[in-house]
Amino acid sequence: MSRNAHPDAMAPSKPGRTRTAPPQLPDQFPFGGRYLAYTLFDLTGILYLLLGFLVLCAVWSLGSGEAAWNGVLERNRSMLYVGFHAIALVGVIFVGIRFFGFFPKAQPPRIGPVKPPPKPVILAMLYALWIGVTAFLSIVLAGGIF
Amino acid sequence: MKHLLLKLEPLIWLLFGQGILLGTVLLTGWVLVVGLAIPLGIVPADALSYERAQMLGSHIIGRVILLGLIVLPLWKGAHHMRHIFLDFGGAKRDVLVAPLLYLLAASGSVLAVVAIVRI
Amino acid sequence: MSDGQQKKTFVVTRFDPDRDEAPRKQSYEIPVQPDWKVLDALNFIKDEVDGTLSYRWSCRMAVCGSCGMMVNGEPRLTCKEALSQYGDTVDVGPLANFPVVRDLVIEADGFMEKLTSVKPWIIRAKERAVEEGPMRQSPAEHEEFKQFSLCINCMLCYSACPVVANEPEFLGPAAIAVGHRYSIDSRDEGAAERNEVFRGEGGVFSCSFANECSEVCPKNVDPAAAVNQAKFNAVIDWATGLVLPRGGDE
Repeated sequence: MSRNAHPDAMAPSKPGRTRTAPPQLPDQFPFGGRYLAYTLFDLTGILYLLLGFLVLCAVWSLGSGEAAWNGVLERNRSMLYVGFHAIALVGVIFVGIRFFGFFPKAQPPRIGPVKPPPKPVILAMLYALWIGVTAFLSIVLAGGIF
Repeated sequence: MKHLLLKLEPLIWLLFGQGILLGTVLLTGWVLVVGLAIPLGIVPADALSYERAQMLGSHIIGRVILLGLIVLPLWKGAHHMRHIFLDFGGAKRDVLVAPLLYLLAASGSVLAVVAIVRI
Repeated sequence: MSDGQQKKTFVVTRFDPDRDEAPRKQSYEIPVQPDWKVLDALNFIKDEVDGTLSYRWSCRMAVCGSCGMMVNGEPRLTCKEALSQYGDTVDVGPLANFPVVRDLVIEADGFMEKLTSVKPWIIRAKERAVEEGPMRQSPAEHEEFKQFSLCINCMLCYSACPVVANEPEFLGPAAIAVGHRYSIDSRDEGAAERNEVFRGEGGVFSCSFANECSEVCPKNVDPAAAVNQAKFNAVIDWATGLVLPRGGDE
């Protein structure tokens, strides 16, 4: 079933000699076929916004004293917060995989005289960074070091 | 307002791009441990007791990481929410919605600095 | 026509601006040959069944970019797509995201305007004199932009792009790709000039990296790569503009 795209989509600056039918959205947009992954990718924006504010609240509580900080730890134990963080983890991993997949081809062929590394090398470096930082941060937060 | 948005676009895109890259890289460990492992008891809660959290958070590297953990996801989130709005036919109101979303991210970023200084 | 001949039904979008309020569907059941492309079926319909059907086509070999249409909801070159991959019913419509002039013919002037706005030609600070001889370019330099020069302007990427659908000012994948192709050409000195267009309204930062343009491109140009490389270059242009004064050098 067709639906209208923006009424001015691909419109020329001057109208043609005959009337035109309005532009139609692709049938599968926004939740069909490949568009689903794209729309979900954009929707993770909500997850990231919430995560950013949750970390902000946690840090604010840390600066407000022990009772406030313990309140954060207590709050995080509720089913709602655990459920949210489980969904957020899936979302974050999905974003990483999709974005890292695209990242190598988005590097220009050169920046001044400097050429970026070959695409497989860039991909390997990204995953090494991700896994390395995740492991380090997890160990630190879990009390493994420091 | 449109002109201001256009002028700021490279900076917003940089923050958004790093929000995806570094934000994702930093968030994974935080969500795993603070969001799941400690609440579920997989990691003992005293790993992030107030004293230890204070010690980690007040170190200069800790502060930088916490700044990244707040600011980067906020800009990624704001920019992607703007895209969602546009993808669902919101182009006419973008001139209102975009500044609101970016102001949200900016406010959060300013509060992040204050919060980190307070540790 | 023999009894054993395979038949398919084509559900084709029709629109006559003088007669129709809005586009409508018309079905044609026709015999098909096993080696046909979608275009062959359309040509059969026009030649043997309904001469009023209007559509663009030319080279029959996926180099001219004329015959782009929506086939079963996906933007395709009808001369390239084998009929055998489709079932008994094939839906053929005009390219999505474009105003429709008639039947399967879309208004292409909007695309032409976006294309010329990025100045898709070699820009030199000073015209090179004939006596100086040809500009030299190594194979390695050519490789840097070659992929982006393969675009046949078929506009399938515009049909797939969610930003084109929702933000009319967006330059779009093919226009940005060809602009970027020139900006990274070693013979070109116009990157700064093109960046003014790329950073303007509907410029490169409107792209949300859906990657749909690259998915549908029949020539593997990968316009998504070009657009996102152009974003990076536009940021460098912006950053150096903050630090260094404009004018003179690129």
